Amino acid sequence: MSQAALSAFPEPAPAPAVETVGLSCWYVPGRPVLRDIDLAVAPGSICMILGPSGSGKSTLLKVIKGLLPLNAGTLSLFGQPVAGRTHARSRRALERSVAWIPQHLGLVRSLTVLDNVLSGTLARVGTLASLVGAFPHTLRDEALATLDSLGIRAKADEKVFSLSGGERQRVAIARALMQHPTLVLADEFVSQLDPLTTREMLDIVQGIARTGVAFLITSHEVELVAEYGDRVVFIRDGRKIHEGAANAFTFASVMTLMGR
Amino acid sequence: MRSRRPPVFLITAGVAAGLALAMMGNLGLLDAAQLRRGVLNTTEFVRGLFPPNPQPLPTLLGATLETLQIAYVGTVLGVAGALPLALLATRTVFGPGVTGPVRLLLAGVRTVPALLWAVVFVVAFGLGPAAGAMGIAAYTLGYLGKLLYEVFEGVDGEVVDAVRSVGCNRAQLTRFALLPEAANGILSQLLFVFEYNVRASSIMGFVGAGGIGFHLLGYLQLLQYRNLFTALLLTLGVVIAIDYLSGRVRRMVLPPAPAA
Repeated sequence: MSQAALSAFPEPAPAPAVETVGLSCWYVPGRPVLRDIDLAVAPGSICMILGPSGSGKSTLLKVIKGLLPLNAGTLSLFGQPVAGRTHARSRRALERSVAWIPQHLGLVRSLTVLDNVLSGTLARVGTLASLVGAFPHTLRDEALATLDSLGIRAKADEKVFSLSGGERQRVAIARALMQHPTLVLADEFVSQLDPLTTREMLDIVQGIARTGVAFLITSHEVELVAEYGDRVVFIRDGRKIHEGAANAFTFASVMTLMGR
Repeated sequence: MRSRRPPVFLITAGVAAGLALAMMGNLGLLDAAQLRRGVLNTTEFVRGLFPPNPQPLPTLLGATLETLQIAYVGTVLGVAGALPLALLATRTVFGPGVTGPVRLLLAGVRTVPALLWAVVFVVAFGLGPAAGAMGIAAYTLGYLGKLLYEVFEGVDGEVVDAVRSVGCNRAQLTRFALLPEAANGILSQLLFVFEYNVRASSIMGFVGAGGIGFHLLGYLQLLQYRNLFTALLLTLGVVIAIDYLSGRVRRMVLPPAPAA
């Protein structure tokens, strides 16, 4: 077939970074925390998840990351289903390409910034080497370069407990990036920052997304959704009640969705 | 109209006091003749303590040094066993198939007091400080093992999940999350157990397991109360010195308690 003939076919759309169909999760049978969530996040896009406290936003991220069980429905990462016991090994491999930044960042406060960032590479380093802290030079250089790109290379040898909130945020992002993720799940990770630092962090996120990394971010910051998000999903009482383009989303939309 | 029922507190206190009186009767503590004899004997005993005899001091100093060695070696050996067992008993790292039997083992070891362990090791190793050190080590294993797995389980679950989610194994999770996050708690428990072991080591000699206890018992049995008082003062001095040094280490290494 000639090149011209080939170009007549449209290129297949890339598989979503994450896709859920009918995703449900419960801690107690009969009382689901998430019900029938359908979601698709394209590679390189930023999807903001909004909803009141206790609506199930954090639970959704934990289910996608594999920290909580998927009780019903399907979950695919990059077009490959990850639910079910039969795919345990491939699921683990896929889950490694999904980075998770928890609400309070989950950094080890008494370790240095560099050690925290290098811990993002643990799946790629031999056990013995990592236990004695003998990370390969290439990984150390990569970690320092990542810290440099986030503007905190000078803090590499400082303990995390001595950092400011914004600096810790950058360390958490750096640790996530060292996983070489194609999807980052960020759970309200800018909720405790001042407005200026919040924008700095989301500018960084936007820059990373342009390299092809998808972001799924839970947030309460309605005014930032339209500015930084591509898509917005609104969850209430464990159900998805709205999904749409982020640029049209306003505070009035939230009030409507909340029925106020 | 308010009922005139007696308050629950008064009933509880009355029952508790009644039980205590009945038991005191069984134990002979309400026998006036025995009580009078006890007071007279105690007075005689206290009078016999003065003045302390400095003559056996060189012997006692050697025995005190041996006591400290028993406590130190016993603590080190106990910690070496307790640390890995505590990790195996930590529910955030291992499943119930591992944690259950290990916890049972630790509980079993802990049930036997240090002095009884010393008796067991006197049978095994013969009379002398080696049996005392092993007795202290065995008790430390059971006691510290429990304290440490509780410290490990007290580590922030979000930190554990965040490090685990990068795809690391259990050894790496221990090295990069549990140990650094629990370091202060571990040190605090180590100091506490060492202080306890110094006290426990001072009576190991009661069962022939070395240390100053051998002399304490001998002076008591031979009614050499002035020598006994010297040994008691020396033991008290050592215990106070160890508590003081331990307190200094705590203040130097551990963070101050948060203000109320």
